[in-house]
Amino acid sequence: MDLVIGIGNRLRSDDGVGREIVDRLSPRVGLNIESVHQLVPDLVEPIEQARRVLFVDADVRCRDLQLQRVRPSAVGGVGHTLGPEGLLHWAEAVGAAVPDAWLLSVPVKTVDIGEGLSDEAERAVGAALERIDEWLDEAVEGLRSEEEV
Amino acid sequence: MEKQIHIEPVTRIEGHAKISVFLDDAGDVRDAQFHVTELRGFEKFCEGRTLWEMPGLTARICGICPVSHILASAKTCDAILAVRIPETAELLRRLMNLGQMVQSHALSFFYLSAPDFLLGWDTDPATRNVVGLAMKDADLARKGIRLRAFGQEIIDRLGGKRIHPAWAVPGGVNRPLSEENRAWIRDRLPEALDTTRFTIDLFKETFNTIESREVLGTFDSMYLGLVAPDGTWEHYAGMLRWVDQARNPVVEAHDPTKYFELIREASEPWTYLKFPFYEPKGYPNGMYRVGPLGRVNVCDRFGTPLADAELEAFRDCQNGQCSGRVFDYHYTRLLEILASLERIERLIDDERIVSPAIRAHAEVNVREGVGIHEAPRGTLIHHYWVDENGIIEKANFIVSTGHNNLAMNRAVQEIAKTYIRKGKVSEGILNRIEGGIRAYDPCLSCSVHAVGHMPLYVDIVDVDGQTVRTLSRE
Repeated sequence: MDLVIGIGNRLRSDDGVGREIVDRLSPRVGLNIESVHQLVPDLVEPIEQARRVLFVDADVRCRDLQLQRVRPSAVGGVGHTLGPEGLLHWAEAVGAAVPDAWLLSVPVKTVDIGEGLSDEAERAVGAALERIDEWLDEAVEGLRSEEEV
Repeated sequence: MEKQIHIEPVTRIEGHAKISVFLDDAGDVRDAQFHVTELRGFEKFCEGRTLWEMPGLTARICGICPVSHILASAKTCDAILAVRIPETAELLRRLMNLGQMVQSHALSFFYLSAPDFLLGWDTDPATRNVVGLAMKDADLARKGIRLRAFGQEIIDRLGGKRIHPAWAVPGGVNRPLSEENRAWIRDRLPEALDTTRFTIDLFKETFNTIESREVLGTFDSMYLGLVAPDGTWEHYAGMLRWVDQARNPVVEAHDPTKYFELIREASEPWTYLKFPFYEPKGYPNGMYRVGPLGRVNVCDRFGTPLADAELEAFRDCQNGQCSGRVFDYHYTRLLEILASLERIERLIDDERIVSPAIRAHAEVNVREGVGIHEAPRGTLIHHYWVDENGIIEKANFIVSTGHNNLAMNRAVQEIAKTYIRKGKVSEGILNRIEGGIRAYDPCLSCSVHAVGHMPLYVDIVDVDGQTVRTLSRE
């Protein structure tokens, strides 16, 4: 089973793009989707049940979609600042199996207070969905899990 | 020379705060203050909004206890509509509040506080956190995660999401409980009960003497909580009861909608958090405590077998009196998780819980309403005044953390006096002062509606107001 986690605060304008993207993902067999305001340790359970996990999050610093592998790391604390690496570290700490994990960073314009996506973020949604489909299909070179590469 | 020590921020609580410790000429503690340094002002910007918006609007006060505000607000709106909500709606609201008790108490115990006392107060702060706890006892940490997730999942399955579910509405709730979700809750209950009983046993084994539970100080106060008409622990309805340290009733049963007859709020220039006090005793003598320790001290019984057995064990060492130990907030938090799970079991077994009759409809019938229930951190009060169209003219919130403000200040004073001598301050001492605050599980986001993280600064200021030393921790 693959797990895709969309992260974001919908009251912080483009910050909600990760959740918008996973909301538009087409269901498929073997795909579990989570849409969350922020990462929390409760996600350890679905993560350890997954063969692969993909985090989808807004990033004001990047100019293009970026798909990269992430690994457990003790960064970011366990509160509002918990990131994918920290969550995977959490999973490791409680003895959970950590799957092959990826982060899709979506370029956005603003994370100021407000509802709705900017035109830039809206345009990125379509491209992100295509990228996720490729990830799910393992159709792009370099996207297969480390064990299979 | 008098010195002043500031601790800022206090970590692993919700919101911003700092602590000042005032030393006398000998370097011993003369006084201590718990400052809440930020303000969001929800009471003010609710003015002009419609009654119907209030549950959703006030839920945004906090991401940890939105359920508490939704329910208090919905109850206030019920009063203004002058409706009696369907019995299933009340059962469902109770179910969600119990889910909230479980998740919030589990968060406080396993994520925020257990690292202090299970890893050791003087453990390096870099590892004295929940990940450090997981490194030491992965099984316990995982149990804690799953217990909190269970409470969160109840909220999600009732309200459609875990945070800010717009589910309780004026007149009832907007979605019934499905049989599928009822079955899910029932299936997961045994594990949650096992985890809670395991953790209570662990807690009792670890802190098996009164002395070991006095690490954060002990002092006398009054205690406040809702109780059912027969004195049983209550969390959604009931009457306000105050008891003194000897567990003698100060007020046996007071109509909660007339809270203002007995509770007043004082202000101090050095904090945004008000000081509610028991009016007949004046300020600051009218100090009382709420939350798990308050509720457990005021109730006659939990009304469920497992929790009542544990309550008896808890009270065996009290000689019939209230526990005044700050550390016992943790103990009573566990007892309340157990009681909540047993109550959840009863509710799930009640056939009325899946009835589709969940909402009464009405318009504004009275211009003022009060809604009170027990949030995890203590008694939560919403009070609205509206015009004939249901537009909010004024709102007053007295939140759980506010009730404990006087007591938190007292706790800091007691710990500081024990651990700061001749002006000597160490990291371990600061941790205990923070621990004293954290035991109350204060939600400053709720109490003053502050946001953000908590740094830690200690300023030592001499009698002339000059800072002679500053320590800090991010």
